[in-house]
Amino acid sequence: MVYRVVFALFIISKAGGLIYNREFHAGLSKLEANDYLIVAGTFHGIHAITKQLCPAAAAPTPPAITTPSLAPSPFPSRPSGLEVLETQNFRMQCFQTQTGVKFLLFTEPHQPNVDTMMRRIYELYADYVMKNPFYTVEMPIRCEKFDRGLDGFVKVRS
Amino acid sequence: MILYSFYIFDRHTECIYSRKWNTRPISSSTKSARPQSGVSITSNGDVAPATRKALSKEDDAKLIFGLVFSLRNMAQKLGGEDDSFLCYRTGEYKLHYYETPTRLKFVMLTDHGAKTQRSALHQIWALLYVEYVVKNPLSPVEHPGGIGVANVMFEQGLDAFVERVVLPT
Repeated sequence: MVYRVVFALFIISKAGGLIYNREFHAGLSKLEANDYLIVAGTFHGIHAITKQLCPAAAAPTPPAITTPSLAPSPFPSRPSGLEVLETQNFRMQCFQTQTGVKFLLFTEPHQPNVDTMMRRIYELYADYVMKNPFYTVEMPIRCEKFDRGLDGFVKVRS
Repeated sequence: MILYSFYIFDRHTECIYSRKWNTRPISSSTKSARPQSGVSITSNGDVAPATRKALSKEDDAKLIFGLVFSLRNMAQKLGGEDDSFLCYRTGEYKLHYYETPTRLKFVMLTDHGAKTQRSALHQIWALLYVEYVVKNPLSPVEHPGGIGVANVMFEQGLDAFVERVVLPT
């Protein structure tokens, strides 16, 4: 069994607010609640800038999209923005959903299979958060089943 | 590997050297290489690139500095004081970062599949910058506006280094 360490999971709403913050293993510095909000907000801005800096032309745009339309394009070919951030002590994978919610997963620097883990977390989010009738979008996530699902998933794996 | 650009920033947040290679290769019919779309605010909350003009060279450098600075702070906040930011990758490109103890920042943009170029950046600093810029008796100690950095030896050395070391990997 490969030893895996997942440090933490952040979920950032499309407005840049931190709506979920969970630590699984110690490894990242402990911050105050306000600082986490600041980090999330900063990252939201960074993500937008990394999209703009794209030095190469993004994948060719289908001609239909170039005509003005009010509906959001279903085939986005715009730059993806930051996906993986590597530092000496951790690796951060960012996954942005079609609706602009960002999942940040902090792991060990050489963690394999973060993509599959991310997909599974997204499934849990869809099942236990989005399908929860008492959850208001853009609000902090307080769903016990989501917490337990994550616990089971991450602990079984690590 | 495709190399897009290379920047040096000094400790006063100023861009003292920048160099671009094959950026914005073939733009499709329109002038701007960015995808055009009529939607101004997309579902992601982004401002669509269509509304934005292409950035000038200086603006690009400022944006990169701000970005690298925030990422460095973020890495230190979360990973502890001794942590340092190494690189990030998007779907289109990868940014490599190296900071010297004197807070000189070296940044390189390559295509997203490239291996980490941190050692290459370190070599550029040690073999080229120190040799041809720091040890140059005619160059000032600080380089406001990039004076003394873009000398012939440094530029030739950089070209040769890129040809020999960076591109073949």
